[in-house]
Amino acid sequence: MGNFTLGRYMPLDSPIHKMDPRMKIIAMLLMLISIFINAGWIGYGIIFVVMSCVIMTAKLSFRFIWKAMKPMLFMLCFLLVINALVVTTGVPLFTIGSFTLYSGAVMQTLYIAVRLLLMIMITTCLTATTKPMDMTLGIEDLLGPLKKIGVPAHEIAMLISIALRFIPDLIDETQRIMKAQQSRGVDMQEGTIKEKVGAILSLIVPLFVSAFQRAEDLANAMEARGYAPGEPRTRYRTLKFHARDYILLGGSLCILVTMIGVSILL
Amino acid sequence: MPIQFENVSHVYSAGTPYQYQALKGINLKIAEGKMTAVIGETGSGKSTLVQHLNALLLPDEGKIRILDRVIVAGEKPKKLKSLRGKVGLVFQFPEYQLFEETVIKDVAFGPKNFGVSEQEAVLKAKQALHLVGLGEEFFEKSPLELSGGQKRRVAIAGILAMDPKVLVLDEPTAGLDPAGTKMMMRLFERLNKEMHKTVLIVTHDMEQVFAYCDDVVIVADGKIRMHGPAKKFFEDSRLCKEMNILPPALIRTRDALNQNGFEIPSDIADIHALAKEIRKQVKRHG
Ligand SMILES: Nc1ncnc2c1ncn2[C@@H]1O[C@H](COP(=O)(O)OP(=O)(O)OP(=O)(O)O)[C@@H](O)[C@H]1O
Ligand SMILES: [Mg+2]
Repeated sequence: MGNFTLGRYMPLDSPIHKMDPRMKIIAMLLMLISIFINAGWIGYGIIFVVMSCVIMTAKLSFRFIWKAMKPMLFMLCFLLVINALVVTTGVPLFTIGSFTLYSGAVMQTLYIAVRLLLMIMITTCLTATTKPMDMTLGIEDLLGPLKKIGVPAHEIAMLISIALRFIPDLIDETQRIMKAQQSRGVDMQEGTIKEKVGAILSLIVPLFVSAFQRAEDLANAMEARGYAPGEPRTRYRTLKFHARDYILLGGSLCILVTMIGVSILL
Repeated sequence: MPIQFENVSHVYSAGTPYQYQALKGINLKIAEGKMTAVIGETGSGKSTLVQHLNALLLPDEGKIRILDRVIVAGEKPKKLKSLRGKVGLVFQFPEYQLFEETVIKDVAFGPKNFGVSEQEAVLKAKQALHLVGLGEEFFEKSPLELSGGQKRRVAIAGILAMDPKVLVLDEPTAGLDPAGTKMMMRLFERLNKEMHKTVLIVTHDMEQVFAYCDDVVIVADGKIRMHGPAKKFFEDSRLCKEMNILPPALIRTRDALNQNGFEIPSDIADIHALAKEIRKQVKRHG
């Protein structure tokens, strides 16, 4: 699971990496909205092609996206089972005993799978190309106007970026504990239900203990360096929009408009 | 021949910018019944190497023979559990693996996983805790309320209770007090000499290597730099310098004495013998 890639920053040198985090966040939101406009397979096809181009420009590999997608497969299988039991639209595909699988069930699952894939492609393009620190700055600036009505923009941004920052660490930690317990004969794959529950407990308890430990260490380290939430802070880096950022904004707006257009025309 | 590495390589996070080849064509044979030290700089690949011994990490290239198992790169091995019962691995910071409500339950967790009955597992746990120097008063405590060093001992006991044939320890004494360190090293020595277990120990402490280990393996940059008898290695001051390793204090003292006109033989094994020898030679010249 050192291979677990969801939310992990990839230190590469690409035009996407250089873009302004604020604009990347806005673009991501626009793209996510585009997904939820019902533009059918043509719409998804367009978004897929565009995102593939972005991924290639960002020098990310498709294997990377696939690995991020993998943990979701289990969920999708589960969904397929539920859909198969519930959905009775479309043509019947085959019948076993009293159970009939309809094409609607498959289509609906496929629809969700495609949306999920696109969502992962889009969010990965943001998280893999934006340093956690830049992400904080970006979120904070975007929430800035809300400060006037009392929204703690800085704290929210810090919270989000710490959470993002810790995902890979927690995954590494899970893997380490898993290895340690496997050395003591825990079998994560085989075994009875009772053994499996034991296996999961042997993983979760140490994970929580170390997560709390980590949280405490981080809090102490931040306080030791004078961090106090709510206090005014100076910035080492200020964000500035460049031409490429406006291109990004224009591009994602185009996609959104196209999606709306396609959904109306079809 | 219980352990043999043939041209083993391991790559972390292959295909990402974090890709790192931690082992580069390792060839290594470790004889049965020996106590072997694995040394090398931080990040040289020691932990990666030892995690191959119970197939927690699988080779990306090459072949590993362990006891009666052969693990070949590219093949997915089955039934690894039985191997893990025979090769006990204590991790670098094993205190994080504790999770049961009581110390005794946690130590009994390993043997129970390998099909030992509840009663027998508890018995084995008690013996193992006794071996690592934790008395009755600790049995019913929560592992979370122990000190770091005590947790370490519980974790080591957790592996000992499985009674493995091969014992692999990744820096087991890091962070223990001197008395605890000595006690642990004596314990590992006893397991090796009296119970004939093959012991591999990753360490940064040359005094330990010199005092307790038969052989020494030096890992550098993911490769085996040297493998041979520990005593002979430390005798060879030029080789030590070449490997960038400071020999143990006894050897350094002896070399310094010899450079200043003494003639201390190389079979002097501890400071008492050295002191006696110095006295003898001083008297003779006196
Ligand atoms: N999960 C991982 N993903 C990527 N690289 C890793 C991973 N684990 C270890 N490495 C890298 O592999 C190299 C060898 O690591 P290893 O833990 O084997 O070193 P070590 O010799 O045990 O060091 P130490 O003395 O500090 O314990 C290091 O450079 C490390 O950065
Ligand atoms: Mg190590």
